[in-house]
Amino acid sequence: MTLDIGVTMKRPRLGFFKYSCCMGCSYFFAYVHKHVHEVLASFDFVFIKLLSRKGTPEGPFDIALVEGTITEAWQVDELKMIREQSKKLFAIGSCAVIGGIPAIKATAPELEVEKKVYKNLSPIHSIKPHAVDAYVKVDGYIRGCPPAERDLYEALTSVLTGREPDFPQHSVCIECKLKGNICILIADNMPCMGPVTNAGCGALCPSMNRACYSCFGPMKQANAPALAKKFKAMGISRDDIIRKFTEFGADTIEFRKAVETVYED
Amino acid sequence: MTGERTFQKFKRLIPKKAFLLWLDSLKKDYKLIGPVKTGNHAVFKEVDSSEELFMEYGTTMLSPGKLFLYKPNEELFRFTFNEKNPSPIPLPQGEGARGRVTEIFSSEKISVDEIHSMPEKQVIVGVHPCDMNAILYLDRTFLGAVKDPHYEARRKNTVIISLNCAYVSENCFCSSVGTGPFLHAASGYDMLLTAFENEYLVEIKSRRVEELFGLRGRGAGNAELRLKAEKEKSIKWKFKKTVDISGLDNIFAENTGHPVWQRTAEEKCLSCGNCVMVCPTCFCYDIRDEMSMDLKTVTRYRCFDACQDIRFAEVHGGNFRQRRAARLRQFVTHKLDQTNQYGVSGTVGCGRCITWCPTGIDLMEITEEIQRYEPA
Repeated sequence: MTLDIGVTMKRPRLGFFKYSCCMGCSYFFAYVHKHVHEVLASFDFVFIKLLSRKGTPEGPFDIALVEGTITEAWQVDELKMIREQSKKLFAIGSCAVIGGIPAIKATAPELEVEKKVYKNLSPIHSIKPHAVDAYVKVDGYIRGCPPAERDLYEALTSVLTGREPDFPQHSVCIECKLKGNICILIADNMPCMGPVTNAGCGALCPSMNRACYSCFGPMKQANAPALAKKFKAMGISRDDIIRKFTEFGADTIEFRKAVETVYED
Repeated sequence: MTGERTFQKFKRLIPKKAFLLWLDSLKKDYKLIGPVKTGNHAVFKEVDSSEELFMEYGTTMLSPGKLFLYKPNEELFRFTFNEKNPSPIPLPQGEGARGRVTEIFSSEKISVDEIHSMPEKQVIVGVHPCDMNAILYLDRTFLGAVKDPHYEARRKNTVIISLNCAYVSENCFCSSVGTGPFLHAASGYDMLLTAFENEYLVEIKSRRVEELFGLRGRGAGNAELRLKAEKEKSIKWKFKKTVDISGLDNIFAENTGHPVWQRTAEEKCLSCGNCVMVCPTCFCYDIRDEMSMDLKTVTRYRCFDACQDIRFAEVHGGNFRQRRAARLRQFVTHKLDQTNQYGVSGTVGCGRCITWCPTGIDLMEITEEIQRYEPA
């Protein structure tokens, strides 16, 4: 491939790996976003299950994208192998970044969760769910459910041009204010998770007059207990507050602190 | 800009309806911007007709200065990697993005284009004294020793009609910092309104509006000016929030380790940055690059930055203010202290940071606690 910056290079080898999740990130990556054509043209798709049954998860990879929560032991082994064979590894989507929906079960003992769902436990080999970065080092997070377009392009172009990617680490509130939305938490008393949630979505829900439910997960150093206290003062029930903080971020330290605070009160 | 004295005689009483009609007449040359009611709140936005204006508003969430003069997002440069047949660069899209593009550098491989803002002429009407003072504060930043061409171009193309306050909102404290409720700044704006029952007392403060303003109305005499002074006096005691700003520079400097910082940071502060975003005088911005997915263009733009962000002013090793308490203290002291920066206090007393803080952090309470504090 000839890049217009005058460098001739081989297309970077890309692997897209799926663990416990809805495969929505693969779908988004391959079909839905604005620059599907450029993405398909820029990379050598060595392994992506959604597009091709062919291919092997054998490296080396210039870029590995990992979606899904790690909930089984074989996934851990494969993930470690992929990490060793990849120059850059990005977690994509809420499940891989923070644990996401599959991590809801992190709040209960594993066996109890399994018994709730399955009669016969003999084929079940699940483990406690964790985000990808609990097992391997990650070069960046493409957060969101579905993932943020801008962050996806940032990760991909960083690999194509060989620079460090730059992801926002501030709260959704900042994006929300940049858009000029009236704050729904203050003005409408809606339990919005924006103040503790990492930006990247462009304040999608608050712009539609819906409270943020933190699918992007906690921002760095989020003070979730203080927001939980605020929700309590707003008259939100204890159970609802716990649900808010465990919907996507049940496996994150920041949101667990909030849940603890609520239990203590 | 000319001093107040020159325009002494231009104090007139104009019926409210006539005044609004005059605003409509400006629409052929100017974009008309003013407070509009949406739900329980007012926002500054462009209006089609003066009938949409809601002049009796309390405080808006975002100040007009940080919406229409200093933009939340602004494209500055575009880098294009040259192809054999370069296509013309499309102008930036969206509201207020009309611009001119000049090439400032070009080589075989890359060309750099500067995006100049060519703002439309606009009138902002109904700017409260706090927000007007905030714009004068932004002027110190962007039109000081180094002039910001984007801000300057918009400032020159903007006619500002200020409106003295008739109401005090819950968190206003402008009377304590000398920025309200009535405007006393001599210049830097074009017109000052004071609402009487059915009329506005109109005071013209610039040549360009003197030329634009065709209404004769009734000359305001001493009686009207006395009425204005009485209105100011009567509104001054309605403030619920007050602060004593004397000597705050030293008091804050001596109390950087005061327990109030750590306690507020732990119990309340979310580091969300709402305070900074709604603050009419917060001027920090971040410069970011965004590369197109086809790797052909890089857009360099600026947008508001917030000192509450962990990555604010990041250098090697990270932000100097790693602790939330340090970032909170930075905001509070930059507002109520640091008069040495521009010779005026960084706050204009609008109270937005208190109103829109999700956990209700109150700068007045923090200040009072520190003022009361006597080290053991």
